[in-house]
Amino acid sequence: MVLETVPAEYYLVLSAAVFCAGLFGVLTRRNALLFLMSVELLLNAANINLVVFSFYWGEITGQTFALFVVALAAAEVAVGIGIILVLHRNFGDVDVTDATTMRW
Amino acid sequence: MALIYELTPAIVLLPLASFALALFFGKWLPKRGAVVGSLATAGTLGLSLVTLGWLLATGEPHNQTWYTLVDAEATFDLTFGILIDQLSAAMLVIVSLIAFLVHVFSLGYMNDEDEPGLPRYYAGLGLFSASMLAFVIADNLLMAFVFFELVGLCSYLLIGHWFTDDAPPSAAKKAFLVTRFGDYFFLVGVVGVLVTFGTANFAGSGGFPALAEEAITAGETFFGFDAETWFSVLGLLVLGGALGKSAQFPFHTWLPDAMEGPTPVSALIHAATMVAAGVYLVARMYGFYALLPTVLGIIAFVGGFTALFAATMAVVKNEIKQVLAYSTISQYGYMMLALGAGSYVAAFFHLTTHAVFKALLFLGAGSVIIAMHHDEDMWEMGGLKNEMRVTYLTFLAGSLALAGIFPFSGFWSKDEVLFETLIHALGGSPLLFGAYAMGLAAVFLTGFYTIRMVLLTFHGEPRSDTAEDPHAVRWNVKLPLSVLGVLAVIAGGINLVPVEKLSGGNLHVAFLEGYLERDLGLLTHGEHYSELLHDYAGYQSAYVGSEVTTLLLGAGLSLGLALLGAGLAYGLYRGASPTRHTEKLGGIRTLLMNNYYQDEYQVWLAKGATVRLSAAADTFDQGVIDGAVNAASSVSLFSGSRLRRIQTGIVTNYAALLLLSLLALLVVFAILGGWL
Repeated sequence: MVLETVPAEYYLVLSAAVFCAGLFGVLTRRNALLFLMSVELLLNAANINLVVFSFYWGEITGQTFALFVVALAAAEVAVGIGIILVLHRNFGDVDVTDATTMRW
Repeated sequence: MALIYELTPAIVLLPLASFALALFFGKWLPKRGAVVGSLATAGTLGLSLVTLGWLLATGEPHNQTWYTLVDAEATFDLTFGILIDQLSAAMLVIVSLIAFLVHVFSLGYMNDEDEPGLPRYYAGLGLFSASMLAFVIADNLLMAFVFFELVGLCSYLLIGHWFTDDAPPSAAKKAFLVTRFGDYFFLVGVVGVLVTFGTANFAGSGGFPALAEEAITAGETFFGFDAETWFSVLGLLVLGGALGKSAQFPFHTWLPDAMEGPTPVSALIHAATMVAAGVYLVARMYGFYALLPTVLGIIAFVGGFTALFAATMAVVKNEIKQVLAYSTISQYGYMMLALGAGSYVAAFFHLTTHAVFKALLFLGAGSVIIAMHHDEDMWEMGGLKNEMRVTYLTFLAGSLALAGIFPFSGFWSKDEVLFETLIHALGGSPLLFGAYAMGLAAVFLTGFYTIRMVLLTFHGEPRSDTAEDPHAVRWNVKLPLSVLGVLAVIAGGINLVPVEKLSGGNLHVAFLEGYLERDLGLLTHGEHYSELLHDYAGYQSAYVGSEVTTLLLGAGLSLGLALLGAGLAYGLYRGASPTRHTEKLGGIRTLLMNNYYQDEYQVWLAKGATVRLSAAADTFDQGVIDGAVNAASSVSLFSGSRLRRIQTGIVTNYAALLLLSLLALLVVFAILGGWL
């Protein structure tokens, strides 16, 4: 299989790249929807790692975890979309820098 | 355990029940609580008499812890308990007898006069009796302190009964504060006793007096002091409470003002409860005081001085109750003198006879006040003896007892106090001569002011319209007066020590002495105290010539002085319309009428000294203590207000902070872990 021929480092670099993209999105974006997408990227970066190591170790546990993470991400998106809807209703926008009224 | 001792708590609980009933249901009770109160105190009197009888018959005392407040394994337990020995059994009878008679008298003084707030009044009387009885049966100093305080509270409530007027609330506050001042020392003393001995029990070989005796014999030291010095400090601290309650100099100022309360309350306070509590406390822990010659000397001198000091003020007073008030202070001075001079039996004897004749005199004065429509000025009275036969005769009996005229009760007890003081002074304690001389001088003055009071009140021509046609009193006034009048004449018979001595010991009539000296195994009997006084305080008896000569000499001297005082008063104030002889005293009279300016200096002490000291303390408290606290809080407030600015409310910033912190942590771990 082609997977076996690719060294593990490549996957790790890919994962790190995806993670950095997600992180960049979280730190720079103001739009809540983009924010949510960036979080998805972060989660999936972790998923890549889980699957790859699972594969290399010949253990199925990591892949199971990845499935769990996918399910959790779906749930998180559902909640996140809900929050974004409420955000839009209250502030007329989905800019996360507007919603600062809950601080001191 | 004997059945009677299982019933002992009822002695306290009966008046307590009457307190609760009068307080909550007084409006609907017959006579607004007077009947319930009388029945409860009658029950208490019955139980007390049975207890006394049982103790006399079997000689079986009772000393048991009843309830443990704090059960501390490492230090000491705080407990409530019951101690019935000769002293407490006899005191129970005195207190409950007076309380009962005062309840009956109150029917005439309060109910018949339609006074307001009767349920409150009877509730107060009930609580007063209950707390005094609980104080009497207390088996340890802590319990005694608790009920000592309750007695003080009740006196506050009752003295201030007519709180809508100006004077009674102020007098009540004064009584409370002055006695509280003494009680501070008492409280510190209680703590000191507990810390020193690990117990505050009065009686038995495990009680603190017995432990103190062992400690002095063994030459132990406490906190760097030798045992006797340290115990003297403790003894003086507790004595502070006793002097406050017993109105001894310089804490006597509250008592004359306490006359603002209803007259039956005055009778209760003066004869059996509040004021007697101080003397009783010293007698209760006499096994401790008998070890401390310095403290005994102080007690004797304070007592002797108070006896004389108060008697001088009584000479010029115009209100009948004021004269009685100062005579009370003076008579309690005699009791303190007796205790200090090492005659425990004489002190208790005088306490007994005084309880009877002073209750009688106050109730008699109450009867006169009813008759005079609440006018207390003796110069408005006169000639009442024909209108008020019972009151006059009983009041006269009480007065002769107070003056110490043979053969009335006061003569026997006062004579024994002075005799014991004299023989101990002769026996190598010459300082007691000073106290004895003051006591003797007070005998003369007592005779004078007592007869002056009787003559002005009852003899001569009526000096006002009310005195011409006095208000009649009913059975509920006459009954207590008659009971007490008879007792005032014969109560001396319980301890005819001089007669026994004159008969050469063939006639055994010193009943009280035999009773108090009987060994019941609790180390609280008179015999034991005499040994302690001899071994530790160095009190010995010596006589001029023989014992009988000294006895006759002492008795003759005190009786002669009393008769001289009485005769002088009779000479000055007899006749149809006596003149105001005390006016001729001029400057001395002003001094005496102003009570030696004792009130003024105490007010100055409160306003000039204490208030300033408190103001300084307040400044220190507000400035330094609160300043430090406020500074600490303002530092955290300020830093908090700065620090909260990192909470922007923008999610991105939090994410960045999280990331940066994680990186910082990684760097730190890397450096510390040696990865880099």
